[in-house]
Amino acid sequence: MSASETNGMEKSAALYGMLAEFRNPKELIDAAMLVNKSGYTKYDTFSPFPVHGMDKAMSLKKSKLGWIVLLHGFIGFTGAITMMYFMAVADYPLNISGKPFLNGPAWVPITFELTVLLSAFGAVFGMFFLNGLPKLNNPLFSVERFKKATDDGFFVCIEADDTQFETEKVRKLFEEAGATHIEEVYD
Amino acid sequence: MSTQPYVPAPPLVKGDHDFASITRLVTDVNLRPTPKAWYLFMILANALAGVLLISIGYLIWEGTGIWGLNNPVGWGWAIINFVWWVGIGHAGTLISAILFLFRQDWRTAINRFAEAMTIFAVMCAGVFPAIHVGRIWVIYWVFPVPNQMYMWPNFNSPLLWDVFAVSTYFTVSLLFWYVGLVPDLATLRDRATDKIRQIAYGIGSLGWTGSNRHWWNYEKAYMILAGLATPLVLSVHTIVSFDFAVSMIPGWHTTIFPPYFVAGAIFSGFAMVLTLMIVARKVYNMKDIMTDDHMEKMNIVILVTGSMVGFAYMMEFFIAWYSGVEYEQAIFILRATGPYAWAYWTMMTCNVLSPQFFWSKKLRRNVGFTFFISIVVNIGMWFERFVITVTSLANDYLPSSWDYYSPTIWDALTYLGTFGLFFTLFLAFLRFLPMIAIAEIKAVMPQADPHNYNEETNEYHPPKVEVPKPQLETV
Amino acid sequence: MSETTPTTTYWKSLNELAENQEYKKYAEREFTENATELNDGVSRRGFLRVMGASIALAGFAACRRPVQKILPYSRQPEDIVPGIPLYYATSMPLMGSLVGLVAENHEGRPTKLEGNDMHPASRGGTNAFHQAAILNLYDPDRSRFPRKDGQRASLEDFSTFLSEELGRTTAKRILFISEANSSPTLAAQKAYLTNTYFDNAEWVTYEAFGEENAFRGTDLAFGSRLRPYYKYDQADVVVSLNDDMLSATHPNNVEYSNQITGKRKVTSTKDTMSRIYAVEDSFSVTGSYADNRLRLKASQIPAFTFALAQALSEQTSGLDAFSGVNNSFVGHEWISALAEDLLANRGRSAVSAGLEHAPEVHAAVAAMNVALGNAGNTVDYLEVPHAGDSVETTFEDALTRLNNDEFDVAVIVGGNPVYTSPELAQAIGKVETVVHLSDFYNETSKAATWHINRAHFLETWGDGYSFGGTRSVIQPQIQPLHGGISEIEFLSMFSGSMAKGYDLVRNTFAEYYNDLDAAWVNILHDGIDRIDSFAKPNVRVTSSLGSAVAGALNQTPGSGMEVVIRPDASVYDGRFANNGWLQELPDPMTKITWDNVALMSPATAAQLGVENEDVVSVTVNESSVTIAAWIQPGHVDDAITLSVGYGREGIGRVANRYMDYTSGGSDTYPLRAHNSLFSAGSVSKTGETYEIACVQDHHSLEGRDLYRQATIEKYKKTPEYASFAYIHKYEVPGLKEAAAKGEDEPISLFDEQVYPEYEPQWGMAIDLNSCFGCGVCIIACQSENNIPVIGKKEVKRGREMHWIRNDRYFVGEDADNPQAVHQPVPCMHCELAPCEQVCPVAATTHSNDGMNQMTYNRCIGTRYCANNCPYKVRRFNFFNYPKEYLTTGDDPDIIQMAMNPEVTVRFRGVMEKCTYCAQRVNRAKISAKIETGSPKPADGTVKTACQQACPADCISFGDLTDPNSEVSKIKRNERNYQMLEELNTRPRTSYVAKLTNPNPALA
Repeated sequence: MSASETNGMEKSAALYGMLAEFRNPKELIDAAMLVNKSGYTKYDTFSPFPVHGMDKAMSLKKSKLGWIVLLHGFIGFTGAITMMYFMAVADYPLNISGKPFLNGPAWVPITFELTVLLSAFGAVFGMFFLNGLPKLNNPLFSVERFKKATDDGFFVCIEADDTQFETEKVRKLFEEAGATHIEEVYD
Repeated sequence: MSTQPYVPAPPLVKGDHDFASITRLVTDVNLRPTPKAWYLFMILANALAGVLLISIGYLIWEGTGIWGLNNPVGWGWAIINFVWWVGIGHAGTLISAILFLFRQDWRTAINRFAEAMTIFAVMCAGVFPAIHVGRIWVIYWVFPVPNQMYMWPNFNSPLLWDVFAVSTYFTVSLLFWYVGLVPDLATLRDRATDKIRQIAYGIGSLGWTGSNRHWWNYEKAYMILAGLATPLVLSVHTIVSFDFAVSMIPGWHTTIFPPYFVAGAIFSGFAMVLTLMIVARKVYNMKDIMTDDHMEKMNIVILVTGSMVGFAYMMEFFIAWYSGVEYEQAIFILRATGPYAWAYWTMMTCNVLSPQFFWSKKLRRNVGFTFFISIVVNIGMWFERFVITVTSLANDYLPSSWDYYSPTIWDALTYLGTFGLFFTLFLAFLRFLPMIAIAEIKAVMPQADPHNYNEETNEYHPPKVEVPKPQLETV
Repeated sequence: MSETTPTTTYWKSLNELAENQEYKKYAEREFTENATELNDGVSRRGFLRVMGASIALAGFAACRRPVQKILPYSRQPEDIVPGIPLYYATSMPLMGSLVGLVAENHEGRPTKLEGNDMHPASRGGTNAFHQAAILNLYDPDRSRFPRKDGQRASLEDFSTFLSEELGRTTAKRILFISEANSSPTLAAQKAYLTNTYFDNAEWVTYEAFGEENAFRGTDLAFGSRLRPYYKYDQADVVVSLNDDMLSATHPNNVEYSNQITGKRKVTSTKDTMSRIYAVEDSFSVTGSYADNRLRLKASQIPAFTFALAQALSEQTSGLDAFSGVNNSFVGHEWISALAEDLLANRGRSAVSAGLEHAPEVHAAVAAMNVALGNAGNTVDYLEVPHAGDSVETTFEDALTRLNNDEFDVAVIVGGNPVYTSPELAQAIGKVETVVHLSDFYNETSKAATWHINRAHFLETWGDGYSFGGTRSVIQPQIQPLHGGISEIEFLSMFSGSMAKGYDLVRNTFAEYYNDLDAAWVNILHDGIDRIDSFAKPNVRVTSSLGSAVAGALNQTPGSGMEVVIRPDASVYDGRFANNGWLQELPDPMTKITWDNVALMSPATAAQLGVENEDVVSVTVNESSVTIAAWIQPGHVDDAITLSVGYGREGIGRVANRYMDYTSGGSDTYPLRAHNSLFSAGSVSKTGETYEIACVQDHHSLEGRDLYRQATIEKYKKTPEYASFAYIHKYEVPGLKEAAAKGEDEPISLFDEQVYPEYEPQWGMAIDLNSCFGCGVCIIACQSENNIPVIGKKEVKRGREMHWIRNDRYFVGEDADNPQAVHQPVPCMHCELAPCEQVCPVAATTHSNDGMNQMTYNRCIGTRYCANNCPYKVRRFNFFNYPKEYLTTGDDPDIIQMAMNPEVTVRFRGVMEKCTYCAQRVNRAKISAKIETGSPKPADGTVKTACQQACPADCISFGDLTDPNSEVSKIKRNERNYQMLEELNTRPRTSYVAKLTNPNPALA
């Protein structure tokens, strides 16, 4: 690797990334596009609510959550049927109202409920998993201004360990994008 | 078809609000020092909850006999209250899930609120099946847990289906609610000034940053949850209705029960949301967010579901006659004319008659009247459950076994007590959690839409509603 | 106290003292609780615990070996195998007659009484009193020690008193007042004491409701006191003139029920059945069982009887005495119809009159039976040696002489005259010394100088005759729990020292046998000594009859309101008042528990402006009583019927009026003059109300096909009258489809479980044609299955626990004169049981032998099964009833000894119901398996408790896989039907539709 990069590495040893604030969703999207075009990968945008079109702007890939949910739903479904078969047919069959041990119709509700339950677990915990949450500490929290991200602030952050990261270049990029504030974030 | 002018939808948030003002409006309630009045109401609620604990304690000590149950009537107020609370507990998930799928953005103003109500209502409901059994200390046998008898539950029993349905519904509603809360807890975390709040909300928000990469999964998850909760919310009261429909008692053994119960549940749920909302928006002056338009929309839902319930009542009668089963016919005639006629006609008045007023737009938008009707409706729905549960049992197949059911003071106190539990939880919710889904409400404000900004100046310009030219029908 | 108590129990007494304080506090706490909780009925606890403290004090004497200590069988008694019950024959004396019983003993403790198959007065059947007698044995409130002037004394004290005061040469004038007793030993003692031992002793037999009038009637008719003894199994026409011979209040009701219902068993269209006419004022079980019923005031019955005699006199000889009769009933449609039917059935008919009716009525009835040639065919006239023979004086005579202070000592042998007879009570007050032998410290005991606690008949030796003259020995089953003595032992004390009952009985029987020892074993084993001990003289109507009855013939029945007083179906004359089972046994006709009421017709009620539970004040010459009114459809107008035995004070925790006076009924004896059935009176509404616990709220069938009946003519024309298809004009839904598939049961959504070949399949059939609603099945079940007594408040709440109930419906258009039908309802043991599928924890399931079983220790008490039971036969333990019932605060809790060790005692919060007596079934299966290798017992070897107790053999139970079993045969009968069969629950219990045989002339 080249010297300049190694220097850059050293310089930004404590540096987490560069944070820029924008006025509104429109500017945020434009900024995101710009950053995205400029070929940065380790960056993120922050807004108090999901901004529509941001996925395109950042060209985010389709979420894998669907598959996780499907898997869990399948576990719930088969699990329910297996459980009921074991309990009512295999392990301790009882003559109840003269009905057959394997009483299909009666098993529908519980099968359904357990499928839904497991799918829901999949959806929620899968989402947290994909988002790497819970993550109670985050270098961005050290930035006082970043508190606005959950109120009315719109931020872009390019992380220092992005291969193209260079403090000045990034700062210029942000200025072009019309950021109102730009500051370095250390962890 | 005649041509009609295009009417623009009213703005969801009244008054000129920006993101920050919304944040303040909602979160200040949680961050400002606790008002005296809150303590007062909390104490009242706790006292009622105490009544619940006492009556449950006495029940466990003495036995089910302290209730008014007797030989033909094995289920009384306990089951009535259970169905009633569960029914109320339908509004929340329905609003947040189904209306979400239908892209009813107005829901964002009330979904948090309604979901909280749902969860607390289901908790109150859950109390009853647990304590109405004769041997409360072995209630856990309804779960498939290994035990010294090597026995398993009976999967043919609607009561067991109920166990799974209600517990699933509760869990999913809770998750759904929490997922919605995470970004707003983050908001509170960032606005909180004192350590305790910062830590508490910080933990609750799991370190949420508002990252759009997170929002991306988050929205997906929220969508899927809504998709799951929708059939779930319909299934719960369906299965509750199975407790009756799957039995063979005249007046219970009815195929119309599932849809009719679900309609009834939405009916009572929306009424309860209205009752609470009308008070809350006044107290916390959230009129800008929970607008009269919301109230009107919900009144329309009440009108529709109320009429559906009314239709079901008629249909029951028709089928009883049409089936030609003498026992069915007898019970329905007895309901309207028999010893419980008073309950039956109370139900009819409250559930079928009272919502019909909402055909008038003026009344739909009349806060006081809506509040009144919303309470009447829930009284009516309680009586519906009473009529279903008690009358059928009291007069079934063998006239020799017919007997009249009258509750005791303990039935009443237990029911009263659940309100204590409900309001304790609800007051705590209002105090410590944002009663409005902040992130969601912001997302539906015009300011949130990038297209409402000038391409050059990037300045915000409110969307101007362009009324399209009336297109002429070519026949 | 300590010096009277043997030192061995002295220390024990101290402990008890301590414990009793506990009980006192406990009891007091209960009271206050009750006071606060009346509104939610928790105060039921008051019932069995009221006065727990006072009774616990009595516990000082509760020191008898059988219950006090648990002794290991260091020397194992013969034939006792732990867990295997032993059965001994014995007999129960009641109303002056014996009924042969068999006692089931567990480890030396009698737990259940059954009828003795070989005994003519039982034929295996029993009535409610017999079944409940076992609870009397273990009644903690029984008197536990002798008392002198209310103070605890000992038998020794009493015998010293006798030797000092009542020695052979005493100048005291003694009157023995004895309840009716058939014991030959006692008869001998009676003769000896009155004729030989004492110079001036008199004897009078007193029963509040006795046969005296019947005896006097035959005396008028035939010139000698004879007992009419009917053989209804010979009678094609039965005319009951206010004679409730099917009710347990009749001394021979078991045998009569067996005969009457036996004559009406119909198995095919070829069979015939007898016809029963009932003429009565109040609705009796006999009336409800009759084919034709006429409502008449009790005061009109004599006139009606004479009119009937007059009608018969025209075509028969020997009724000249009545030929002159000319009263309002002459020419009555019933008279002509009856006369016709009776004349057509000479020698095959039986006319009988209510025991309390005047002697003239009985005389007329006797004369009619002779004239119709029934005497010797359908009715025998028996010489009953012990009933009012030469050595006795009459009640009236005794009464006058008592009032004239002609007696110094009154010795009351059993009975409770102070309570049951106001006249006697007042007269006895004049006597200086009163000695009273009784099993309770009751009203009479309190008025007595000496009270001697009496032994229960299962505790001591005795003997006697059945109504029909079968001589038996009363064999004790257990040591006297409280050291009581029997009446014969008691009397033996008067002639010197007390002899043991065993020796007294042996001595009596020694006279019948040269070698008693040889015969003795059989006498005890069979419970029968000699069948026909009573002579049957040829009877002919005396010429003096005309003059004897002349007075009565001219009497005209009163027109105003009249008050009729009858023994109670639950407590008889009050002697069973402390028996919880009987108190909670619904009255056969009114279905009322725990109370007596003033019965009246709807018209009378309307006229008085009263409704059920309104308190009325009933007045008969100056004395009046307040009591709750109850409307009895079918009751005659302008009359009030009261029953006796209630309104007790200080008898026992069950009998006593409950502290808040919300239960216990009212004492109606003050309105009653001895031996008079009815008297003119007045009734007025007081404005108060009094809660009545009636187990049936709704009395109409609502036109439902639950109970099916037809006249025998219709049956012969349309044998399928009881089938669903015939009644509804269409098949049971699903039957055609099933037939298409070659099945005989309606189709079901599921392919059903099949039962294993090797198992028996149990089923039950209930013959509605035999059931007259006495309710003995309920008590038998309660005794067999440890069903708790729950008290009035809980019954009022509709929580009765009886596993088998007896539904009573009123049928017919005329609300004033309906027909009443009885339908016993146990668990139906449905093959497709609705209760099972709804239980979340599978606590009720089906067994391989087709029984619907409850797993008590799995039940969590959701009550869903009970809700889903279309027959409503499931019972829930809303409170810890068994505990309330079995821990009465006595030391020891002897009531627990009445429990059947083979049946679980159920806990609070658990569902229970009829099990087809699973414990009996399984015992039979096990022994069958041991003997034959197959678990299918031979038909008839297993009987359920209800089936065994029923005197009418109306219940049959057995294996359905055996085509020749009794029950299979009955179920093949075209009259067999399933209740609610259209629900396709496949009940294993089915009914045989009722038949009636009314007289077309009266239709």
